[in-house]
Amino acid sequence: MKFFHNLHIDFLGKRYTFYVVSAVLISIGLGVFFTKGITLGIDFAGGTEILVRFQNEIPIDQVRNAMDNAGITGAEIKTMGNEKDILIRTVEQGEGTVVIDKIKETLTKNISNNNFEVLRTDKVGPKIGKELRISAIYATVFSLIAILIYLAFRFEFIYALGAVLGLFHDVLITLGMIAIFHVIFPNLNLELNQGMVAAFLTLIGFSVNDTVIVFDRIRENIKLYKSEEILTVMNRSINTTLSRTIITSGTVFLTVFILLLFGGEVNRTFAFTFTVGVITGTYSSIYVASAFVVDIKSRQKAGKLRSAAKLQVNKA
Amino acid sequence: MLFLALSFYFLYPTYKDHQFNEEILKLSNQQDSAAFFDKNGNDVIKARENRIKLGLDLQGGMYVIMEVDIAKLLTDLAKKQDEILTQVLIDAGEQTKNSDDDFVDVVTAKLTERGLSLKAYYGEIRDDDSKIKKDLKTEVENAIDRAIQVVRNRIDQYGVSEPVIQKKGASRLVVELPGVSNVQDVRKLLQGTALLEFKLVIDPQIAVKVMEKINTYLAGGNLDSLMKSDSLKIVAKNDSLKKKDTTNVTKTNIKKDSTSITNKKDSTVNKDISKKDTSKKGPTKKDSGKVTDTNISGLTDSNGNPLDTNKQLSEEEFKIKNPWFYLVRPQQFQDGTVAWFVRETDKQSVIRILERKEIKDLIPTDVSFALSNKSSFVDAGEKIYQFYILKRDPELTGGVVVNARSNIDPTSNSAVVYMEMNSDGAADWARITGANINKQIAIVLDNVVYSAPVVRNKITGGNSQIEGMANIQEAKLLEIVLKAGALPAPLKIIEERTVGPSLGEDSIQKGLYSSLIALLLVALFMMMYYHFAGMVADLALVFNMVFVLGVMASFHATLTLPGIAALILTIGMAVDSNVLIYERIREELTGGKPLRTAIELGYKKAFSAIMDTHVTSIITAVILYQFGTGPIQGFALTLIIGLIVNLFTAIVLTRILFDIMTEKGKTQINFG
Repeated sequence: MKFFHNLHIDFLGKRYTFYVVSAVLISIGLGVFFTKGITLGIDFAGGTEILVRFQNEIPIDQVRNAMDNAGITGAEIKTMGNEKDILIRTVEQGEGTVVIDKIKETLTKNISNNNFEVLRTDKVGPKIGKELRISAIYATVFSLIAILIYLAFRFEFIYALGAVLGLFHDVLITLGMIAIFHVIFPNLNLELNQGMVAAFLTLIGFSVNDTVIVFDRIRENIKLYKSEEILTVMNRSINTTLSRTIITSGTVFLTVFILLLFGGEVNRTFAFTFTVGVITGTYSSIYVASAFVVDIKSRQKAGKLRSAAKLQVNKA
Repeated sequence: MLFLALSFYFLYPTYKDHQFNEEILKLSNQQDSAAFFDKNGNDVIKARENRIKLGLDLQGGMYVIMEVDIAKLLTDLAKKQDEILTQVLIDAGEQTKNSDDDFVDVVTAKLTERGLSLKAYYGEIRDDDSKIKKDLKTEVENAIDRAIQVVRNRIDQYGVSEPVIQKKGASRLVVELPGVSNVQDVRKLLQGTALLEFKLVIDPQIAVKVMEKINTYLAGGNLDSLMKSDSLKIVAKNDSLKKKDTTNVTKTNIKKDSTSITNKKDSTVNKDISKKDTSKKGPTKKDSGKVTDTNISGLTDSNGNPLDTNKQLSEEEFKIKNPWFYLVRPQQFQDGTVAWFVRETDKQSVIRILERKEIKDLIPTDVSFALSNKSSFVDAGEKIYQFYILKRDPELTGGVVVNARSNIDPTSNSAVVYMEMNSDGAADWARITGANINKQIAIVLDNVVYSAPVVRNKITGGNSQIEGMANIQEAKLLEIVLKAGALPAPLKIIEERTVGPSLGEDSIQKGLYSSLIALLLVALFMMMYYHFAGMVADLALVFNMVFVLGVMASFHATLTLPGIAALILTIGMAVDSNVLIYERIREELTGGKPLRTAIELGYKKAFSAIMDTHVTSIITAVILYQFGTGPIQGFALTLIIGLIVNLFTAIVLTRILFDIMTEKGKTQINFG
């Protein structure tokens, strides 16, 4: 069986169209992100969160009323996956763990005939939340820098820059997609937590992976076809690696998609982020990373020609 | 092959543990379970120790970060407490809540704003502010060490398996308690104030009588009823399985506590006395390590006959006749003193027996029991703890201790601890020590004995010197213990996460379920697309999974829920490597190259790409490991292991397989 054999698609010729597509997608995504925002998970926001499983299905209003009566107002209460699992989250900290105790007490007192089991509790102090936020930012920035250095060392600096630009593109698009999906399907319970940061970093790893494979072929082909235009060499490289790209991205997509479907509530944020990331990561290898290199290289060449022309004019 | 064998070797305990767990579940009545543990106890423990560790998110448990409550510490430390100080501390608390400013710095600034200085509340009159500030900061750092000691002590007593207690930064403490579900209890355990007591060690003759009483009671068939009612069941659940070790305590290298306590000597002035004293110090020290082989004087067995620890009775007979002395073994030393020892595996049983009402009724009301903090020695690979019989009421509590300091005595070159008491304490201390010369006084923290020095003389003035510690570390520990009683380290919980066991089960199930589906689908696709070569890749994929889990088991790495996600990702990366190679080989084959050359070129050309992709991914994973916490680190670690293993399985392993095939003269391999 063979897919995509002997292809000669002019990928990079259409790059300007896709610049526009990317720009539009990013602006819409970021627009939604900045207007609607996405929920900060408890890891970063701090607060108290408790996940309980009731024996029988329970109307969410009953829980809400119970909380209101106990004076825990402004708590976010939602179902997780089914009608028995209820998540209660509040920004209240309290000393130590009084908030969790109060919630548990309230549920025991006010909801009779329906016992519950505590599945998970989290209390994150404001300082910790801030520290986790900072380390998440550090982690992302440092890995981008590390990748830039490694690739600059293995390829040319322009390639490294192109790859990192592609990564920025992927992160922005994915962030936008999360914001959009969060608005359309609030039941997915997507939120920015540590799991999502892990997903972003893995996505960075995957995307650069894909880019490197295309670049690797370009590196090889440039030596083989010295007389050809850079655009032609790159198109050729993308075409020859396309079958691998599709198979790999396809299988990775498949695996994370399965995780998204069957991995349960806990892995959902990770799986969703990565599912989007696989698509944009594959796309950005061609239309951001490679396209950027083509544009810079042809400009450099044009510049060289011009200066060479100037030089001749001067001589004359 | 070797790697595969190793992986299976390391994974075997995980499988075995799983099997044991299923068998244990099947056992319904207690006779059965007792018999089962008799037979398999050792294996069960071993399997448990060597299985793949599951993260808190998978097996349930509690994760707590605590921080030293600096405001409270500063209140305790202050020379005088007034409204101004209280207000300043509250303000400072507010200000540092969301900032990284140093608490002590903020307090200093706030005091200055009010026209006051640190000197008003802390330090000596002649100290300047910067020195006081430095001292306070050191106090904060010391507080966390004390807190760790106290918390570790309590958790050990509570009996949690595989707890993690770690210092984080200058003033934080991370505690991970797998399998703990009683959150309330644990919280109390973590936050309560430590109780330091000085208790008199009971006269050996009386102690012997008490112990005999218990022994006789238990020998009268009461042991079984005590043990059976609840302990075996708990034991089965708690990982702390009773090891049926039949080796006797060997009579060599036994070390009982050999510390002594004296008036603090000014070593510069009284060098001679000091020297004389240390040389005279303790027949106990000299004698430790030698045990008389005769009958222990005055100690009788359950039938009233003199107790003989020589092996006239077989191990089993001894156990039946003297069940208590089997658990708590008496040893007599040449100086006539008797010390009692408990093996680590018997610790919980001993504690449980002593908690029973029937036993409590037997013993005099003024007697209590405690175990030593660390093992006195190790016998046949097992830790042995010393067992103390103490006066129930403490002679003094730790509140009177003002300061403690460990040091190397310059004259004798041995570790000593200096202890300083306040004037009230000093007066009592003089009376107590005066009345108990040559007797032992135990230093007890939260009911664990850290040292039981022999009183050498009446200590007046409140300055004592404890000597006879094995090394400076031991002295340092005693210093921390003494200070823990004197100056509690108040802790507040700043992060707490608990996962119930059922959520963990849910997650494991879903995680494994999706991993398996992913693995199957990918394997199926590879076979369809690359035919025979796809099967080779699938084989490598299976090996990869086995290797990764094997490596994790051998490193005692923890598998977390995100770790399962990393496993799935590893599948993706593994397939990618093979796809890269196969596509290259196909290209070469299409170009008309013979099979062998095509394979060789395929691997060679794909290598640079595979290497680059793996290195970049490993870079991000390492950074993730550096900045993430708990489960996220589990993800990063699993991914790193997966990537490194994959470099081997995808490049080396499959290559070997193909090479073997071509060596054997195969000219056609179906690459699809």
